[in-house]
Amino acid sequence: MVLPPVAVVAVFIGFPVGAAIAYTLGRAGGPNSTVALLAQRQHIVHHGVTTAAYREVLGNPHVRADLWATVWVTLVTIVVVVLLSWAIGLYLRLSDTRISRIVSALSVIPLFIPVVIASYAILTFYASQGFIKTLAYHLGWHSFPTLGYTLTAVAIGEIWVNVPFGVLMMSSGLNSVPNALIEAARDSGASLPRTVRSVLLPMNVIPTVIVATFTGIYVLGSFTVPYLTGPSAPNLMGVSMANFFSAFNQPQQAEVMAMIVFVLAVGIGTIYVWANVRASKRASITS
Amino acid sequence: MTDAQTPAGLLIDRVSKDLGGRTIVSDMQLEVHAGELTCLLGPSGCGKTTTLRMIGGFLQPDAGAILIDGSDISRLPPEKRPTAMVFQNYALWPHMTVFKNVSFGLRLRKLPKAEIRERVENVLELVGLTHHIHSYPARISGGEQQRVALARALVLEPKVLLLDEPLSNLDAKLRVRVREDIREIQQRIGITTIFVTHDQDEALSLSDRIAVMSGGRVEQYADPRTLYRHPATHFVASFVGAMNFYTGTLGGDGFRLAGGAQVPVDSLSSRTPGEYEIGVRPEDVTVSSNGDGGAEASVVREIQRGHYKELVLDVGGDEMRAFVAPDLPAVDRLRVRFSRGVLYRDGVLQEQSESPVAVR
Ligand SMILES: Nc1ncnc2c1ncn2[C@@H]1O[C@H](COP(=O)(O)OP(=O)(O)OP(=O)(O)O)[C@@H](O)[C@H]1O
Ligand SMILES: [Mg+2]
Repeated sequence: MVLPPVAVVAVFIGFPVGAAIAYTLGRAGGPNSTVALLAQRQHIVHHGVTTAAYREVLGNPHVRADLWATVWVTLVTIVVVVLLSWAIGLYLRLSDTRISRIVSALSVIPLFIPVVIASYAILTFYASQGFIKTLAYHLGWHSFPTLGYTLTAVAIGEIWVNVPFGVLMMSSGLNSVPNALIEAARDSGASLPRTVRSVLLPMNVIPTVIVATFTGIYVLGSFTVPYLTGPSAPNLMGVSMANFFSAFNQPQQAEVMAMIVFVLAVGIGTIYVWANVRASKRASITS
Repeated sequence: MTDAQTPAGLLIDRVSKDLGGRTIVSDMQLEVHAGELTCLLGPSGCGKTTTLRMIGGFLQPDAGAILIDGSDISRLPPEKRPTAMVFQNYALWPHMTVFKNVSFGLRLRKLPKAEIRERVENVLELVGLTHHIHSYPARISGGEQQRVALARALVLEPKVLLLDEPLSNLDAKLRVRVREDIREIQQRIGITTIFVTHDQDEALSLSDRIAVMSGGRVEQYADPRTLYRHPATHFVASFVGAMNFYTGTLGGDGFRLAGGAQVPVDSLSSRTPGEYEIGVRPEDVTVSSNGDGGAEASVVREIQRGHYKELVLDVGGDEMRAFVAPDLPAVDRLRVRFSRGVLYRDGVLQEQSESPVAVR
């Protein structure tokens, strides 16, 4: 019974990953022979492995700039998405008004808008003749920066795309805290902010970690948003990977970059797993 | 019922509350003396929790005021009120140990560490849970969780303790034990307490006074014995304890039931002849097998209740329940009389004088 899923994972994930790792380490035979046939600037060895491709990619100042751009945008997006999701989630949890229900509905709308469309919308919104600049101009702020085709626009796009999931996640986490637990804290003398800190926050560590890690992994691997809204360089790794792969015809370098992004994502994934293990340890105590 | 001269304790002064377009509590007046335990007793949905939440500050009254020791607290948020609530599901914070749960309010008040520890240990000692000080709530039993919730409320030394059906999640045996614990602790520290329940047994055995509520109003506010012996309304009479009700006519030789049977009554709340509804507790139905007066009755069913026996009787077509000694020999035919009855007209107790009067 275990076999079919294992086989699927092995064929569709394990094998390609293994082949890609071998290629980045200089082994161009077997499954890699076709791609290696036409590729340029390859580092090939016939015995053992070489880290030459890694050294080349990491030594490339443009790639390094892309890497820092990726890390920067990822961190900013994580922080803003977590804060926004918490703010909106808390608002929805603590207030039950018509407005809060409208906010709740609005906040998930981006889920239903294709990323391509959203990216173009964001681009024109912040472009040099876009809505924001025009508005700023009319208000007398003539030096307002153009955000279109900057990393800021990329971050705004990534935030826009990731907030709905964050809000859904945080609302469901916050809604699972019974009212009585909040009221009991108030009754003991806690102000609302203190109640949030002492009851809602510690009871929602896992949803927060999920929002942070999933957002981070999404941004690391994203292509559409940075490709459409970002600058030519430096841009996120997803975009430069595509350039290296097709425009420069350097698939080995592209795969090396993919490995680097993979390692970053694994780092984030480890945080997620660690948080879950910690939670399940405590769950055996608390429920 | 109000007594402006003694402001100590809790005063609910003409409080009303509408929720969802309905009046849930209407013009409620209740005074609880300092150190007293008052039960709010009533059927589901009568507004008990709503009342309690207004005292605790989780709801704002639409009209009226709530006073504690003479000062109006109706506009204060819950964290500023000298009240502490024990929630129905205990509402212990699952991510905190018993110590952290109980000490939370003290830590907020920025007391010195040593004092916090001492007060938490004292209150846990009071509820008998010192050995669980470092346990998480999910690791202790329901009864223990209940006592932690009580400790968490008591440790803040509130002026008024509020309990919302705190025992409803416990099994029958534990419920009796924990309610005795609560009563004992409450009397030892002399804290003014409001206890919400829909269990009349609980109310009768715990309270100094009971406020019986129905449809957002207090039907009667009295000590348990008065409530049981002199229920002010038909509703109270039927809600608290078992009661046989008959409409009929009071005459010189007893009470004539609608079915025609003439039942002698030894003691009545009023002796003015006329049409009434009579309420008779099953233990006030006296049966005898040697017919010395009394209405004829046939035994429909016998139910063993342990320390007593319940008889379901047919008295001239009317059903009647009687509690009798468990060893009463089984017979088919009996004679019944009422040793005590209370009379109602339009649902309101008709009471004539303090001393019971005999009507034969
Ligand atoms: N926020 C609300 N909006 C509308 N109606 C409400 C609200 N809260 C309570 N009610 C209604 O008020 C009535 C009284 O509720 P309450 O909780 O005070 O009853 P209760 O006496 O505590 O009953 P129970 O014994 O079932 O706990 C109920 O009919 C309930 O549906
Ligand atoms: Mg209730």
